[in-house]
Amino acid sequence: MKKGVLKLAIIVIGLNLIFLYIGLEFLPQSESRPPKVIKIEEGISPDDLIHVGEEIVFGKGQCMVCHPAKPETGMRAPAMSDIGAAIEKEARERGMTAEEYVFEALVNPSKYIVKGFEDSMSRVDKSPTSLTDGEIIAVAAYLQSHGGKVTLSYPGSVPILKDQIAKSGGK
Amino acid sequence: MAEAGVKKGILKGILKFTAILGAGFIILAVLKNMLAAPSEDGYRFFPLIGSRDWIWIVAQLHLNFAAFVLGVPIFAVAMEFMGWRKNDDRLDRIAYDFTKLFTLAYSVTAVMGSIFLVSLPLLYPKFIDYMMKILGPTWWLYLIVMYGEVFVCYLYFYSWNKLRDEKWQRTATDTGAFLSGVNWQKRMSRKGLHIALGVLLNILGATLLLITSSWVGFMTTPAGVNADGELVSRWAAIHTHMWLPLSIHRFVANIVFGAGIAAAYAAFRFITAKTDEERAYFDWMGYTSAIISIGASLLLPGVGYLLGVEIYSFNEQMGIQLMGGFFAWLWVMQSIMIGAILFFINYYLWISLQKMPGGERYYKYVKFIFISLVIGYVVWLIPHDVALSLEEARRTGTYHPALGKLGVMAAKNTAVILSYLATFLSFAIFRMSNKEATVSWAAKGNKARMLIIVGSVVGVLAIGIYSYYVSAAVRVKVLSPIQFGIFFFALVALYVLDSFMYKGARIIGEPRWGKMPERSQYALIAITVTFTWLMGMLGYMRAGARQYWHVYGIMKNTSPDAYLPTHGYASIIVTIVTLLFLLLISFVFWSIMKLEQVLGERKGS
Repeated sequence: MKKGVLKLAIIVIGLNLIFLYIGLEFLPQSESRPPKVIKIEEGISPDDLIHVGEEIVFGKGQCMVCHPAKPETGMRAPAMSDIGAAIEKEARERGMTAEEYVFEALVNPSKYIVKGFEDSMSRVDKSPTSLTDGEIIAVAAYLQSHGGKVTLSYPGSVPILKDQIAKSGGK
Repeated sequence: MAEAGVKKGILKGILKFTAILGAGFIILAVLKNMLAAPSEDGYRFFPLIGSRDWIWIVAQLHLNFAAFVLGVPIFAVAMEFMGWRKNDDRLDRIAYDFTKLFTLAYSVTAVMGSIFLVSLPLLYPKFIDYMMKILGPTWWLYLIVMYGEVFVCYLYFYSWNKLRDEKWQRTATDTGAFLSGVNWQKRMSRKGLHIALGVLLNILGATLLLITSSWVGFMTTPAGVNADGELVSRWAAIHTHMWLPLSIHRFVANIVFGAGIAAAYAAFRFITAKTDEERAYFDWMGYTSAIISIGASLLLPGVGYLLGVEIYSFNEQMGIQLMGGFFAWLWVMQSIMIGAILFFINYYLWISLQKMPGGERYYKYVKFIFISLVIGYVVWLIPHDVALSLEEARRTGTYHPALGKLGVMAAKNTAVILSYLATFLSFAIFRMSNKEATVSWAAKGNKARMLIIVGSVVGVLAIGIYSYYVSAAVRVKVLSPIQFGIFFFALVALYVLDSFMYKGARIIGEPRWGKMPERSQYALIAITVTFTWLMGMLGYMRAGARQYWHVYGIMKNTSPDAYLPTHGYASIIVTIVTLLFLLLISFVFWSIMKLEQVLGERKGS
């Protein structure tokens, strides 16, 4: 009986140690920290603005969890690779400027859904993403840079962004 | 907890519970005045290990015990009911043994709950104040229902012998009168009343589950508040996206977990048994508990899927982050553990064939089931590896170039379903292994069996492959449910077919309960240990889905702990919780054995 209980204790502790070992040694070890506000200087150059946008798209914006880099079968959201060209085309069809269209897509994403996709995106100016005006403009510039013409600047494009936020019913 | 009169037992239980709860409230009031005021943003800091880890350990321990005491009564009363209908005292005994387990575990659950009750408002006062503002009335309802639960629990336990005495007396003294009808009615009413108490206990338990799930649901998928977090609709704050699917998921998981612990208890008693009779009983109890646990776990992928759908519909980002972002590798860990559980239970069933006369006829099939399980396991282990950094995304693309295809849900759903199907086959083989069908259509029945198995495997595989070529919406909303549908259809069809085919079958020999090698019991223990670790890890993932929010998108966590630790760190905490829980539950096992010893000695003297 005592031998049986001892074996049992070895199995209990042994299994726990195996799971712990896998957790410590086989899984990647990184922490997930809350994102920090990215400071964007007024008059930032277009290249720097695009670079900041890229950081947000792949970081705190978490855009890449839905938007693949290249088109894939069964993708949840439009691919990034030619999104700038798609923005210009869709904007023309809807009689809007590319700037208005891209801001609307970010702060009022349910307003217009690209054919073939579902209404699944949450607005980026509100919780939980909560991007600042500058960060939204940087993301929009990054999107434009994929096959489109980058026309946005900070703080020059803030009024167009504010207009779209107001149209969405936000502050 | 010695055997006592019904009134005395209930009074003792209520007093004990009140004392534990009261002590909690008093300690809370005293410490609130003694400790320094919380920081400006509403936090106090627990010494040495920090507030987050302390709450993590206490909450998970409380949750484990709560899962146990809410899960076991579900199948205890089901067993009691079956025992009553079949007039089977063995089923009544197992139901009583299950009841002993959860009644004793109530005290430990209450102690853990009280520690949690003291800790949370002291360490996170601002957050608790906010939760009370939004869902305060549900907390008071929780206390009332909990008292009801404790009352009915002790009533159910202590009235067990009272409400079956008559049958024993009757069957022993006057079989004729027993069958005459008058006493039968009386017996039904007494046992029936006891079973009704068990049902009431489960209704109260389910209510507690719904209340606590509403808190978690609000924290993770909040509703009923405006952008500033002000209450707009309390009902909407309760009835969130997560509320019902989480409650259903927990309900099923509690059965799985509770039965797993009961199986471990039986295995422990088997290993420490002194007589063949005891060994036979606990072998049967272990088998019954393990089958309940694994049987209920068949529902988990389906109800987990429902929960996932609701999380996605609340916030797509949260869903994807949970399934494939930071937590991607913890799903691999989950796969390792569920795969291991399936291997343990299959191993147990394969060994169990030894005690079935005629079981050797089925040894040849074991290798095929084993190979299917291994293939399913490999696919399941491949991570849905979303790039975690800009550099990684630049290097590999959004998903891993080679393994990405097998890491997505299309492949995983298919692998999981086929692994579970293989496990069900092991069970079906075990069940029928000591029987020989005597119906005239037995040969056709066997062909139909094969057709169901092959057809369902081909169907699940074909849909799995087709899933790659459709949109995510079609895959999630149409094809995955069809795969689960095929799986459940196969289960039901096989079960029904076997029931008819083996009706009046020739019994080659009765199962030789107790004639099992000791290693079979270690497989049962291993299942329980793995389940407990898994519960701890999934609990962390569910809470971690909120990332750096107390209430997602509404109330930010601004404490120094507002980050997700490394997977290694999380594994350390989960291991500590698992070992502590198993230590406490073995204390419960030991107490029952001690109680039985004392009662045995009293009867003897």
